[in-house]
Amino acid sequence: MAVLTASKRVLHADLEGDSVRAASGSMVSYTGKVDFKSAGMGATGGFRAALKRGVGGESLSLMTCAGVGRVYLAQDAMDVTVVELTNDRLMIESEHILAVTDGLQLDVQFAGLRGMHTGQGLATTSVTGTGQCAIISEGPLIALAVTPGQPLVVDPDAYVAGTGQTQMTLVSGVSWRSMVGEDGGEPYSLRFEGQGIVYIQPAER
Amino acid sequence: MAFEVVNKKVVRAQVSQQSPVLARRGAMLGYTGQVTFRPLSRSAGGGGAYGTGESASMMASEGSGSVLYGHKGLYVSVIELTGDSLTVEADRLLAYDANLQTSVEMIVQGGVRAAVRGVATGQGMYTTRISGHGSVAVLSHGGTFPLQLTGETVGVDPQAYVGHVGALNIDLKASVGMRDLVGRGAGEAFQLHVSGHGTVYVQASEKRF
Repeated sequence: MAVLTASKRVLHADLEGDSVRAASGSMVSYTGKVDFKSAGMGATGGFRAALKRGVGGESLSLMTCAGVGRVYLAQDAMDVTVVELTNDRLMIESEHILAVTDGLQLDVQFAGLRGMHTGQGLATTSVTGTGQCAIISEGPLIALAVTPGQPLVVDPDAYVAGTGQTQMTLVSGVSWRSMVGEDGGEPYSLRFEGQGIVYIQPAER
Repeated sequence: MAFEVVNKKVVRAQVSQQSPVLARRGAMLGYTGQVTFRPLSRSAGGGGAYGTGESASMMASEGSGSVLYGHKGLYVSVIELTGDSLTVEADRLLAYDANLQTSVEMIVQGGVRAAVRGVATGQGMYTTRISGHGSVAVLSHGGTFPLQLTGETVGVDPQAYVGHVGALNIDLKASVGMRDLVGRGAGEAFQLHVSGHGTVYVQASEKRF
């Protein structure tokens, strides 16, 4: 089983004859014998998923790294965090995926109107199954808990990913103050309710 | 004399009469003591660097005191040389002991192939070699990590390659297939295959600066 380990801004993927899928072009170095092949859009589901991506504007280009050895993956010196999933689902913005192990399926989910306001497109990516998912973020990733009765509100531009049973709603703080340019600079925020974990980055896109 | 790491992006160098420090021009952040900064008309690699594109304007820090160096918030890695030589691009040099020898080298080892490598990877056909005893502070985007080589071969992304120490063979491998031509490649069409005995330094990013 391929193992992903994060080392600050570099991800180590140890392969033992199996494969991981990683963001295209993210290999910085490798030892051993590893082949890199485009995995296309990465999503299982073929044409339907591709269509959804096209409509939703969620673009994700993955490559398969297969062989024996260690692959060093990194992108733009962003911080890397490995999240373990055990029969779970992680909702994540596609540009924050660095690598996923076999056993995880990627699919496109419509995010609703949120995307229109935040400029991230209408779709988001869901990672389901059991395995490891490496997330990249500008600055160290921050995990915030959402518990019943304790909703969490985050900036859409800082939102990276989330797991668990949460409902997401877009909160608009637009008022007459925004119209006259006297707002606090936070016109929209994302509100999470339920039970789960929300990951944010200490930077706003 | 070693550079002291202040944080990931700043190093402090002790400057004395016997050991001045050469640094990238404008990279001084602050200093204590009696230190003067003299621009060097020659570039890092000496007079031979003219017209090769392998040059960065340097300055000499002389006198006695300690100087802080940093540049554009880039990560700094300190590499200690003990008689061996470091090969690195001139624009990645932040500071180094003036007692180290530098020279600009044409990438000739691999002949035409190596020349193609320089052009294909945007590194030019020349590179800087630093040798002797002392420390070198090298700039990178996101920090560097060393890969120790003892005879095996590693593949490195040309954009992520920073430099290397030791007698290493670097060969550009192109595996450009149909898929790359139609834009469906894995994004790893060009790779540097590094083999031999030594250390290769790789940065955690594929960004140039």
